[in-house]
Amino acid sequence: MLNVEQVSKAFRERRVLQQVSLQLAAGEYVAIMGESGVGKSTLLNLIAGLEIPDAGRVLLEGRDLGSMDDAERTRVRRSRLGFVFQAFHLLPHLTIAKNIGLPLALNGIHGAPARERVAELLAAVGLATRADSYPRELSGGEMQRVAIARALVHRPALVLADEPTGNLDAEAAQHVLELLANQLHRDGAACILVTHSEIAAATTQRTLRLTARGIEVAEQ
Amino acid sequence: MRPAISVWNAAVFGPLLRSPSRTVLTICVIALGVALGFAVYLINRSAADEVSRAARSLFGLADFTVEASAVGIDENVYPLIARLPGIAAASPIVEVHAKLADQRRVLKVVGLDTFRSRQLQPSVANLAPTLERGAQAAVGANALFLSASAARDLQRNAGDTLDLQVGMRRERFVVAAVLPSIAFEDNAALVDIAIAQWKFDMLGMVTRINLRLAPGADASDVRKRLSAILPETARIVTPGQATDDALRLSRAYRSNLTALALVALFTGSFLVYSTQTLAILRRRRELALLHALGVTHREQMLHTIGGATLMGVLGASAGVFLGLVAARYALQFAGADLGAGYFRGLTPHLTAGVLELAVFLALGVLAAILGAIRPALETARIATATSLKSGDAPSEDARTHGAIALAFIAVGAMLLLLPPIDDLPLAGYGAIGLIVIATIIAVPLLLNRLLRPLPTLQNVPIDLALTHLRGSGRYATLSVAAIVTSFSLMVAMLIMVTSFRSSLDAWTEKILPADVYLRIGYIGQTAYLDEDRLDALTRLPGVARTVSARFAQAQLAPDTAPVTIVAREIDVEHIEDEIWLEHAATTPAGGAVPIWISEAASDRFRLHAGMEIELPLGSSRERASIRGIWRDYEHQNGALLIDRREYVRLTGDRAINGVSFWLDPGVDIDGVRSGIRNLLRDEVQYDLRTPRELRRMSLQVFDRTFAVTYVLELVAIVIGLFGISASISAQVLARRGEFGVLRHLGVTRGQVAKMLACEGFVLGVVGVIVGLASGALVSLILIYVVNRQSFHWSMDVFVPTPALAACSAILIAAASLIAVLSGRNAMGDDVVRAVKEDW
Repeated sequence: MLNVEQVSKAFRERRVLQQVSLQLAAGEYVAIMGESGVGKSTLLNLIAGLEIPDAGRVLLEGRDLGSMDDAERTRVRRSRLGFVFQAFHLLPHLTIAKNIGLPLALNGIHGAPARERVAELLAAVGLATRADSYPRELSGGEMQRVAIARALVHRPALVLADEPTGNLDAEAAQHVLELLANQLHRDGAACILVTHSEIAAATTQRTLRLTARGIEVAEQ
Repeated sequence: MRPAISVWNAAVFGPLLRSPSRTVLTICVIALGVALGFAVYLINRSAADEVSRAARSLFGLADFTVEASAVGIDENVYPLIARLPGIAAASPIVEVHAKLADQRRVLKVVGLDTFRSRQLQPSVANLAPTLERGAQAAVGANALFLSASAARDLQRNAGDTLDLQVGMRRERFVVAAVLPSIAFEDNAALVDIAIAQWKFDMLGMVTRINLRLAPGADASDVRKRLSAILPETARIVTPGQATDDALRLSRAYRSNLTALALVALFTGSFLVYSTQTLAILRRRRELALLHALGVTHREQMLHTIGGATLMGVLGASAGVFLGLVAARYALQFAGADLGAGYFRGLTPHLTAGVLELAVFLALGVLAAILGAIRPALETARIATATSLKSGDAPSEDARTHGAIALAFIAVGAMLLLLPPIDDLPLAGYGAIGLIVIATIIAVPLLLNRLLRPLPTLQNVPIDLALTHLRGSGRYATLSVAAIVTSFSLMVAMLIMVTSFRSSLDAWTEKILPADVYLRIGYIGQTAYLDEDRLDALTRLPGVARTVSARFAQAQLAPDTAPVTIVAREIDVEHIEDEIWLEHAATTPAGGAVPIWISEAASDRFRLHAGMEIELPLGSSRERASIRGIWRDYEHQNGALLIDRREYVRLTGDRAINGVSFWLDPGVDIDGVRSGIRNLLRDEVQYDLRTPRELRRMSLQVFDRTFAVTYVLELVAIVIGLFGISASISAQVLARRGEFGVLRHLGVTRGQVAKMLACEGFVLGVVGVIVGLASGALVSLILIYVVNRQSFHWSMDVFVPTPALAACSAILIAAASLIAVLSGRNAMGDDVVRAVKEDW
């Protein structure tokens, strides 16, 4: 489903990624660990088509993101990818239901089908009664649950989760990780989880370690 | 290491340098406000100084003067006055406004008694040898001395000739000498008093007598003695009063300009408020961190004020400099009255004192500080712990203060009931200020009301934009308030100016029913037409009938500027066909002389239709009955209309200044005009025009007068658009994370641009709707209160719908475009990385 082939990326003089390769099968759930500054977020941005590699290719479902223009990559991202961020990044002026429904709207799904799918996700993340609340009325754990629902609502092929438990306490983090794993399994989406946490990594199917030399399979 | 400086660097200079474009924009707006205010002030003050110098020049060392109307008073009064106890020196003067025979302009000619004037005008006295030599060199009785500015204006040197028109004849004078500017600063010519009396048909008359009190004499006693022997047509005037009289006509105009210029400074202050508030909203977490690290709330408030003060100092310094430059160029190209025509012939010198510079510098800094006070107080309210939590977002709800806005409007409405203060509509200005402030206060409420009913369009960028605006009342308020302020004032001025212009046009059409108009001379001018010539004109082929008019002056109350007498042959039964009658008397005139007074005269002297007054005409007072009040845009000090036959009966003055011609049906106007020209010959200057030409001229004067206000309005609008730009660019910075997420979720750059354009569009639409409502209200105050109290002119309301629609469309389009341009950072790649930033 995802094939990262020998990608390299540098920002000005600073080389961030050097000939990194990665393969991911449909529905696979992997963790990527690594020291700060080693290029984990850059790798996610390359996979998301938000950055273009200086060398190498990123193939998503067989399509080379580097050969597409910005609008085309944006459309791929809109329909085939989901995102979970460390700082949640819910839109403050949208209700919880509208935050979750935003990817559906961007994909042209409105009305009853959108409402039903949002309700389904709200129930799945345990926030069915908070549909009309605003993000500021939620706790950190609840906000991240909303973010997970938003990432999966449009049934993406791949979810990119960048330190999703970094701002949560241990209990909330555990809850969010379980929820993420369950939802991925239910929707059949693949996921790359970037984390510093061994506990978080342990919830995935395999763990990879990104170093200056490239990606290595970590010992489980 | 100097920690104190580091904190200031971080807390004051850092934020200013982090958003250099917004900082520069704010400084520019303050500079613009100060520059406009300072330039208008300097121009007004320079004009006032010049008028004062001219008056002082004529007064010399006199403590006061006895001033007669243009026809003068009997010179036999002079020895009586000179012998009064308490008078040390008296100098008779004949002052006439002589028409230049070959030009449309008028020259003030001052006839002095050279012996007497030496006691009161030493600067002229010192020139005595020069004058005598000059007079001898010139042709004796025709010698005339020009002041330096008059010589410059008329382009005449010693030895040149100058033809002046007296009645219908020419009098040729020889310029005996040009006086040094220090000797006589007025724009005038000096002649011997006897020559003035002889050449200008003033034998046995004087127009003023300059008086100096004896040491220790009580001025009020002397005034009483003077009043006892003076005729009704004379008044006692001090140099200060003379200056005030000269400036009064333009005072309201100058005050209105100053008020308009200060609006720019107010908008600048508001922009400081909005940029500082937005910066604090954006830097909320940074400020909370600084507080957690040990910077007290008081210090944080001082930092905010410090930043604003720095911008104020820079903006005001630039503004003062720009103001000086603008004033210099405005004086050079538009004149001391900025094209309004109040100070023709005046060539003021621009000077600026240190105190004036300091005051305007302080005004600019004060405006910036005032704008920063509320944001500074808000820094103290930031909840440190909450703000440092991840995922925390500041509340962007705007509190609605409908009751306070209503209270401001109510107080404003009450102010409208107050009379003018010192002839200025200060309460009216206060009401306008309160209504503008009330509008700004009401913006969150109005935004809420206007945005809430908007439906979801199932168009993601538009829906996101509307949701954002609904949910960010404070941002939206800050964005829209500056444009509301400037647009409402623009709307107000547009409606007022259109109403005034349309009323003037309709009035001109009404009062010019004849086919051709001839004008020779005016009040106090030496040119006039005699009745024999009028008879000849009336008998011209093609002329059906003529109506003649004489312009004079009457002193309706002591120590006030005289009103204009328009003595014209009137059809009393159909007076409403000849003038724009506002009110008519319902009671019969009885035996009193019927007169009709203008609104200005009615307001100034609190007179109304049906009243009887004592009218000073010639050397006597006549009982006159006010038969009506008429609309008049020509005579700002007021006018009264009287039948010329009555006027001649009461004064014996048969001179004529104007003739209206009604032609036979089908007669060629140009043919009649040629006949009139042939009869009058080309030896004298006169105005011969059709009503169409006169209407066009009056509208040209009007447009020139109001041209500067258009410039000031445009500046206010540009500042308002700056406000939208500053606000949206600040929001884009604050919403980088949001834009980053949207880009992650698949929103294209084009959709972000569409979203921003939609936000700008909606803000523009709200600004236009609120501005139109508020502006319409302010325009009514301008029309019914400010103008009425300033100029005593009533007018009908005309709404310039096409112009307002065009301005609204331009503003909305500009707001949309500016929103996209200001938010271009939201479309760049940097926002993608913003999702990883804490701030």
